[in-house]
Amino acid sequence: MMLIRIALKQQTVGLIALGLAGVLGGVLNALAFIQIAGTTPAERAAFAQQMTLLGAQLSYMLPVPVHIDTLSGYLEWRLFGFIVLVYAIWAAIAGSGSGRGDEERGLVEQWLAAGVGRTRYIITRVAVFAAVATVVIGAMQLSILLSAGGEPLPAGELLAMAVNLLAATLCSYGIALVIAQLVTTRRAAGGIAAGLLIALFLINGAGRTADLGAVRWLSPFYHFERSRPLTNAGSLDVGAISVLFGAAVVLTTIGIVTFARRDLGGTALPGASRESRATRSPSRDPLLRLPVLGPLRQQRIWVAAWLVGFVALSASLISITRTIVDSLTSSEVPFLRAYFDRAGLGVYDSFVGVIWLSTAMLLLSAYAIIQVASWSADDAEGRLATILSAPVSHARVILERLATLLVAVGLIAAASAVAVYVVAAGQGITLDGGRVALAAALLLTIPFAFGSIGQFVSASRPRIAVVALSAVAVLSYFVQQFVPLFDLPDWVANLSLYTLFGTPMSGDIKWGGVAGLVGIGTVATAASLIALRQRDVGA
Amino acid sequence: MTEAIQTKALTKDYGNGRGIFDLDLSITEGEVFGFLGPNGAGKTTTIRLLMGLIHATRGGARIFGLDCDHDSVAAKRKVGYCPGELPQFGGWRGSEIVAYVAGLRGDVKDAAITALAERLDLDLGRKYREYSHGNKQKLALILAFMHQPALVILDEPTTGLDPLVQQEFYGIVRDARTRGATIFISSHVLSEVEHVCDRVGIVRQGHLATVSPLEDLVGMRAFRVDIDFADQVPVERLKQVDGLDQLVVTDHRATGLLRGTFEPLMAAVAGTRVVGFTSREPSLEEIFLTYYR
Repeated sequence: MMLIRIALKQQTVGLIALGLAGVLGGVLNALAFIQIAGTTPAERAAFAQQMTLLGAQLSYMLPVPVHIDTLSGYLEWRLFGFIVLVYAIWAAIAGSGSGRGDEERGLVEQWLAAGVGRTRYIITRVAVFAAVATVVIGAMQLSILLSAGGEPLPAGELLAMAVNLLAATLCSYGIALVIAQLVTTRRAAGGIAAGLLIALFLINGAGRTADLGAVRWLSPFYHFERSRPLTNAGSLDVGAISVLFGAAVVLTTIGIVTFARRDLGGTALPGASRESRATRSPSRDPLLRLPVLGPLRQQRIWVAAWLVGFVALSASLISITRTIVDSLTSSEVPFLRAYFDRAGLGVYDSFVGVIWLSTAMLLLSAYAIIQVASWSADDAEGRLATILSAPVSHARVILERLATLLVAVGLIAAASAVAVYVVAAGQGITLDGGRVALAAALLLTIPFAFGSIGQFVSASRPRIAVVALSAVAVLSYFVQQFVPLFDLPDWVANLSLYTLFGTPMSGDIKWGGVAGLVGIGTVATAASLIALRQRDVGA
Repeated sequence: MTEAIQTKALTKDYGNGRGIFDLDLSITEGEVFGFLGPNGAGKTTTIRLLMGLIHATRGGARIFGLDCDHDSVAAKRKVGYCPGELPQFGGWRGSEIVAYVAGLRGDVKDAAITALAERLDLDLGRKYREYSHGNKQKLALILAFMHQPALVILDEPTTGLDPLVQQEFYGIVRDARTRGATIFISSHVLSEVEHVCDRVGIVRQGHLATVSPLEDLVGMRAFRVDIDFADQVPVERLKQVDGLDQLVVTDHRATGLLRGTFEPLMAAVAGTRVVGFTSREPSLEEIFLTYYR
């Protein structure tokens, strides 16, 4: 029972964060459909035509829409087509935590010493995750059902989708659990698993328009998509759902068996540990001894992976800009045209700005959240105490962390800006180089604001820092997404950090918003200084 | 002599009687001071207060006249610190950790690091997570001594070290004292501080029980003895042994706590058939229970 309680406690963050994100996403998408799809058959038909066209252009990311004139079809396309990736990433983080995180912290050793069997330990973790995932998915489905607003949406269909979503999530968890047996750190396991799942998601997306052969079968997202319960009277593709659950069982079993057989702290790969060169001398790398560059050097592989991944993503997004804009501007629905104009999606260069910068904002805020998680871990794992045992002020710690974050993000944003400019030119879209550079520079205000808020929470209550900052990100995202749809006032929109950033590639730059972000960051940094100074380290 | 460490009514109250209370301590420059106490007595709390890592509920502490809280950066320029709970550096190599912390300090010679690594026989080329507990402790000691600080604060520094390395550690402490450094060592084992300390402070349940030169604490030195006799236990003779307390006799076995030398006990059992004789150092708490009863 104790084992279950502890496993549950370790899933608390996921339970709250994903539960909230799922419920908010479900409710807002349901309400958004009712708002934008119209009520008459003619409006619905026009809406369906437009969304089908848009869906075809977004097929690299979302499944091709079916029965888009209904709430069921809209949710299946807009919500479930993407949220399956969110749950998969969550499963990757949880799976790597189960398979490696506790071990890294020495907890597994304690459990085994207390007489708990390895198999029992890991099965408990798997079972608890499955239970938590069921609750999270169930809560989202229930919230959708309650907010359907009279639109036909049978509970049975939602239940079938929940089963489908659970199968894909557990399959992703199994992938992460196996990967965790092959590497020695949670960070590596989580990073590889998340990267692999994103790649499998994109492979499935590419397979919608190109013939990838059997490769697509490797993607759990392909099998998830083969079942369309919301638009197919609640029926699941038996083969696909069997593959997902079967893969989840097989992968989890492999993970459990490997975990039970391998050495604690080691990997299941033979000869994975490399001999290091013995030395009695400190590292001669001068970067290690320099402020900002020292921490950055230790993150170099991580930063490089983000840089390469984001450059590739930016390039692929820009490569489809022309076709998407062409489809949007031919809309026959006045409301949609107005919406697209309001969102700045009507012209190539502004669309580049919207699609690139909105993705960049999300990803760079995610990067900031991950950094905040590591700052909180510095406190819990004694590294902060080591740093503060040197003649280093609290202010230096705060400012160095922020500077390290901004330098890393600056490199990523700059590389991405170059990729956007070059790929856009290749598409025949001429961008203002100065505006692209300025937009990339202004991007730094987002991680600055997120990092500073996170730093403040991390300095005050390190254990809740990630949850709190994730909540800020999710709320900012939903506010930004849904304010134009519901035509809400500006002050509501400005509650979102993403809205404050604006769309600097189209029209005037929203200097007030940028100043707001800088102001939030500055105030939060000052508050962090006070909070860290006043709090007991490691408490 | 200048005071290397001075605390006045230093208090950190965690509630429920936990923490450290009204600690008045004065340690002069060049002294090796042992800070003894059972687990949970408040030793680590005191050290973390001295390092400015936590804040006092009331009272204060100074290091070389600098306030540990408000002038902590200046104070820590003069201090080397070995924490009781080792930090986690994951995939960092030992060589990277010492270089990084040396960069933070800015006053470290690479040769000093190499010399310490050689003395403690630590391979800095390995990743931190691959280190054993003892090797992590060695690295913490290198970080504490590498800049040749004027004051070294060590929280249970020999934990996890094998006896040979412990001897090397005592050598490092003596060398530091020779060059004039002040050393503050916390421990829960009396014999550990006996090796190197000039003076010992004993803390119990958050309160300083006594501060004395080491020789004054010799009376506290005690052994838990278990004697197995082939025949009857010579109870009356044992009761007469000077310094033997807590005598318990069961069948052919006698146990007790012996202070002072073994000679009176040996004399008492002379002529009997002793088939087993063990002695061990009791825990500090056991000593307290008799010393401060």
